[in-house]
Amino acid sequence: MASPVPHAPAEVHPTARSAPPPPAVQIEDLSKHYGDVRALDGVSLQTAPGEIFGLLGHNGAGKSTMIRILTGRAKPTGGRARVLGHDMPRELAKVRGEINLVAETPNVYGRASAKENLEFFCTLYGLPRRRAAEVLAMVRLSDVAHRKAKTFSTGMRQRLLLARALLNEPRVLFLDEPTRGLDPRSARDLRDIVRTLAGGGATIFLTTHDMHEADELCQRVAFLADGKIVALDTPQALKLSLRDEAPAADVVLDDGSQLRLALHEPGDAARLTELVTARRVRSAHTLEPTLADVFIHLSGRSLETAPAGEADAA
Amino acid sequence: MSLRRVLAILLKDLRDAGRDGRILVLLALPIGLALFYNATIDDPDELPTAKVAIVEPAGGAVADELRRSAGRSVKVEVRQAADGPAARRLVADDKVAFAVVVDRAATRTDAPARADVLVGSDIKPTAQSVVALVPDALTRAAGERPGAQMQVSTVAQTDPKPYDIVETRALTVLIMIVMLVAFVAMMVVPIQTAEELETGTFGALRLAATGPEILAAKASAGCVYGVVGVAVTVLLTRLDIHDPALFFGAVLALVISLVAFGLLLGLLVPNSNAINTYGAFFLFPLVGLAVAVFFVDSGVLMTLLDVLPFSQATRLLGDGLAAQGPFDAGLTAWAVIAAWALLGYFLLARIATRREL
Repeated sequence: MASPVPHAPAEVHPTARSAPPPPAVQIEDLSKHYGDVRALDGVSLQTAPGEIFGLLGHNGAGKSTMIRILTGRAKPTGGRARVLGHDMPRELAKVRGEINLVAETPNVYGRASAKENLEFFCTLYGLPRRRAAEVLAMVRLSDVAHRKAKTFSTGMRQRLLLARALLNEPRVLFLDEPTRGLDPRSARDLRDIVRTLAGGGATIFLTTHDMHEADELCQRVAFLADGKIVALDTPQALKLSLRDEAPAADVVLDDGSQLRLALHEPGDAARLTELVTARRVRSAHTLEPTLADVFIHLSGRSLETAPAGEADAA
Repeated sequence: MSLRRVLAILLKDLRDAGRDGRILVLLALPIGLALFYNATIDDPDELPTAKVAIVEPAGGAVADELRRSAGRSVKVEVRQAADGPAARRLVADDKVAFAVVVDRAATRTDAPARADVLVGSDIKPTAQSVVALVPDALTRAAGERPGAQMQVSTVAQTDPKPYDIVETRALTVLIMIVMLVAFVAMMVVPIQTAEELETGTFGALRLAATGPEILAAKASAGCVYGVVGVAVTVLLTRLDIHDPALFFGAVLALVISLVAFGLLLGLLVPNSNAINTYGAFFLFPLVGLAVAVFFVDSGVLMTLLDVLPFSQATRLLGDGLAAQGPFDAGLTAWAVIAAWALLGYFLLARIATRREL
């Protein structure tokens, strides 16, 4: 298992001759208590500029609490949280223009139009109002710019939230369950935009309990359970870490029959080669553990269930 | 604190208020009631009016003398007519209650004062009483001494009650103004604050602005609703305010003080519909206590009124309204309102800090 504070992947954190930039997000021994409830309990991690980082956990694991601290809206009980090298929430004013958030709830002003929603935040950020039209175009909402936000579908509201988060061209973008409730197409569109942003150098800090989303998007993921990081690595490494059994494959043949072949067995391996050569294989799937399997293995519970009596204070 | 951000949030709130039916009703209700009462209540202290047409030579003083004779009993509205036939037409058309056609010779000092009085067939007692004053006015206008003279002096009441000093209609409008301020501070402001919390937009705002900036903008919005609402009420009802600075100062002080508690309510009860539904049940007793200052002048209730911002502000409003100053509230009232404001903003800061807003 990887260290909770690993080095960033080489491809997103290249070594340079000059001093490396500070981590986009750096958390050291962070804890947050609400009375007796330990929402976060000694969490440490860091993300590199341009990285898409995923924080996975069940409901109430502390994901949204961490986002609240990192966006300057909550004070940690202990430890330290830094964004772009600044302590949060103490130095929020210094990074206000460089971070943004797509919240879990569709928190837009329903009686205002999409354009008015964004122009209002342009004023707050000290940006020209034309920026609103630019980001509306980016999320394909220009046609409904003058429609009241309360008439929007869930997907449109989520895109409006993303548009708002893009207004100030953030260097660090926090996404709190961004695709919850979205149809597959809207979710795919949102993921495409996230990839584009990361490609442009922005750091994406994503919380989700959708392991497929994390697997598809994130360069590294951390598992949060009961306020603690129980694993942190690339999705591939995490999945491989669980594969202590011999690799196997499920094969469907042209006559519809199915086989499970143990790939480390010379006989099964030869049989697979033979079937492939004879063009008798209709489909073959290697049996790999999913991130959800890894999470269940590490935390003893599924991503969808919250432990009794615990609530995420987000 | 950024003034730009405070102003942006303030303008957003004002615009949103115009689109929220609940808030429009809360603002329109007291203003509408003030207009209704203002239009329907006959003030017993208001002077009856008598309309008179007068024909007299240029420079004649009959009209002035008639007004002077009527004094504070009847308000005499005079229309100058060109000649006798014109005056007669005015009476016949019921434009005036009666007409006085002064004999031109009456202005000469060597001739006796004389006039023809044309009275409408449906003349009212008020106008009839003015007709009785015509001979005296003619005599004075001709420079003659009246047969008898009297001197009228006003004797002040030893202890006039506030409700004796403030006219009934003005008192009713004043109550509606207090109600408007209460609605603004304790319902409109908390509804807007609670809605931001329940929809999560407060969290979005916190990313772009500080908590104090957001709360300052919401408090400012409350002040704008309150002062503008009261100004509109005063203009529409034509409320005669003796000391506008004191009156509007008291309105502003009360709004500022109560808005702190309104913001607290919004933070503690983040359910805008619940505030809208049940808020009035708690506010009406408070408005009742404010009105009680006009009728209670001793006992436990008086002590209670002395320590409440509603009541003290109402006293200041009453003093601003009437020249005689029915309460002479002064510094004590300002101090009580200021103390409540300090308490309110202290509690607000504490709660906001504890809730990490």
